[in-house]
Amino acid sequence: MGKFLLLAFRNVFRNRRRTVMTLVMVGGGVAGLLLVGGFFAFMFWGLRESTINGGLGHIQIFTADHFTRDEVHVLDTGIDNWRQVAATVRTGGHVRGVAPRIEFYGMVSNGEKSSVFMGSAVDPDAESSLGFRTRFASGRDLDSKPGGEVEALIGAGLAKSMNVKVGDGLTVLAMTSDGALNGVDVQIVGIVNSGMAEMDARYLRITLASAQRLLQSDRVTNLVVGLDKTENTDRVAAELAPRMSGLPQQLVLKKWIDLANYYKQVRSLFSMIFVFLGVIVFFMVLMSSVNTLLMTMFERTREIGTMLAMGTPRAWIVSLFMLEATLIGVLGAVAGVLAGNLLGVILNHSGIHLPPPPGNTVPMAFKVLFEPSLMIGSSLLVVFSLALAAIVPAIRASRLQIAEALAHV
Amino acid sequence: MNELAEVPELVRVESVRRRFPLDHSFVSALDDVNLRVVPGEFLAIAGPSGSGKSTLLNLIGCIDKPTSGRILIEGVDTSKLNPTRTTALRREKIGFVFQTFNLIPVFTAAENVEFPLLVQGLGAGERRQRVAAALESVGLTARANHRPDLLSGGERQRIAVARAIVHRPALVLADEPTANLDTHNATQLIDLMHDLNRRLGLTFIFSTHDARLLEHTDRIVRLCDGQVQSDTLTSNTPFAETPNKGASHGQVLASSL
Repeated sequence: MGKFLLLAFRNVFRNRRRTVMTLVMVGGGVAGLLLVGGFFAFMFWGLRESTINGGLGHIQIFTADHFTRDEVHVLDTGIDNWRQVAATVRTGGHVRGVAPRIEFYGMVSNGEKSSVFMGSAVDPDAESSLGFRTRFASGRDLDSKPGGEVEALIGAGLAKSMNVKVGDGLTVLAMTSDGALNGVDVQIVGIVNSGMAEMDARYLRITLASAQRLLQSDRVTNLVVGLDKTENTDRVAAELAPRMSGLPQQLVLKKWIDLANYYKQVRSLFSMIFVFLGVIVFFMVLMSSVNTLLMTMFERTREIGTMLAMGTPRAWIVSLFMLEATLIGVLGAVAGVLAGNLLGVILNHSGIHLPPPPGNTVPMAFKVLFEPSLMIGSSLLVVFSLALAAIVPAIRASRLQIAEALAHV
Repeated sequence: MNELAEVPELVRVESVRRRFPLDHSFVSALDDVNLRVVPGEFLAIAGPSGSGKSTLLNLIGCIDKPTSGRILIEGVDTSKLNPTRTTALRREKIGFVFQTFNLIPVFTAAENVEFPLLVQGLGAGERRQRVAAALESVGLTARANHRPDLLSGGERQRIAVARAIVHRPALVLADEPTANLDTHNATQLIDLMHDLNRRLGLTFIFSTHDARLLEHTDRIVRLCDGQVQSDTLTSNTPFAETPNKGASHGQVLASSL
């Protein structure tokens, strides 16, 4: 077996120029996949972190009822003893903080015109301690302890629709938890531009205390948990789940991935694009390798005939060609991984930025992540492709008529 | 009784025909060829180009099949063997020497000689021992680690001979072994093969139209247009001392039975 491997290895380097060209092709394919895949991974990572830090958090806690029935009145399915729950969660490892939230809706009016809003009530201190960022078109964030007026942030679309700006007032109307209509005058302290027009056309944010007064309830819709690292999400969720079981209300934990539909859609789309690129690379390597290996077979016809004449089993000839192709694949994959990583390092230090994606104004850094799974996957892809490419030449070589092969010029 | 009567047949060619298709007809390469070879013979198949020498060697070497007739190696009818058993027969019983040497270029001389043993599945220790002995027998121990491209034509052919005998075959077939060699190297090769024939009792059958080689042979089978024209023992034959000296080989065999 050792000699057989040695023979295959030496055959690989028999025609060095051709082997180098094949290695460049195979390695180029692997390096290309690593760069594209690495960039996609960087993009996924950026989108994941911006989604989480944009307010989604790593874990959210709801009552089980929240997912099983519709609310008749606001906060019908809210968490009662949320302070106790939040305190319990805070004692867990890797937890950076807990932010209570109320999701509500109602009407907003400027005295002349009314519009529907989707409201979110937050504890500004808790939100900022978790690093949740809000993109402002103008103004500032909510003050956690405002002096007199109730402060509010509204979406840029809603502000335009209501013809208001920072410093102007609005009246917010909503149904209380008892089903009565209540209202509060708010002062706009900031205009939010989330980048999503539909959301900005309906968005309104006030403090948790203001919302509880407006809605006449001490409940919250959910608790948003922020962790030290996203990678700890599964572990913390597994640790927290049993601790939620002894409470009066049945609570459920939702991990960020369960709630990040936009992230999942983007990831799914780009993953398909990557698979498509992988298929292209696979067939490029396959087709060009078939040609190269067939050429190699024709050149070695007499040698194969000699080996067969000496009683070499035909299966050995097949194995030899397959082994040689696999070796080229392995060497090409190693070269590609090295080249891909080197180019990735250079790219990451180059400071190159891509134009802003649709709906964004900030240019996107052109960086790649070094994913071991990507390196292994790309390598296996080209090795498999080459092994597959060797099947036809290998079988043709093994089926040569010995007398004809020996007479081959 | 003479010596031949006591020696079992190694090769028997019986009424062998070999025709090759050409356009819509056939070309006859061999026509009703009969031949018997006993172990230890040093036999030349001579004849002009196209007379069927290589075809006959290919058939005896089981790398081609006759159109009709049969060939027996050590009494085994090769036409009845399946491909696997035919391969095994070639691997174990036959050694080949080719006109163009046909060494594996990426292997060293020693590795080339080792290849048939590798195919036979022998252990590393025995392979090493046999390779050393084979290289020594062709006088190329010092060139063991050289690749074929660093060897002269004569050396390459001697390595090819070592490769053909290393697995101790019953029969060595050599197709025009001196055709690509100069006189000096050709003479050396002829002497080497003859020496191996005499010393180890190896049976050599080779095709040639090289007069230098014919001078050293024990028996010459002359082919012309695919038919045996003559089959004669020469004065070199170990059977030359028999009462049938000077007779045709067919007559010798006939009188021995």
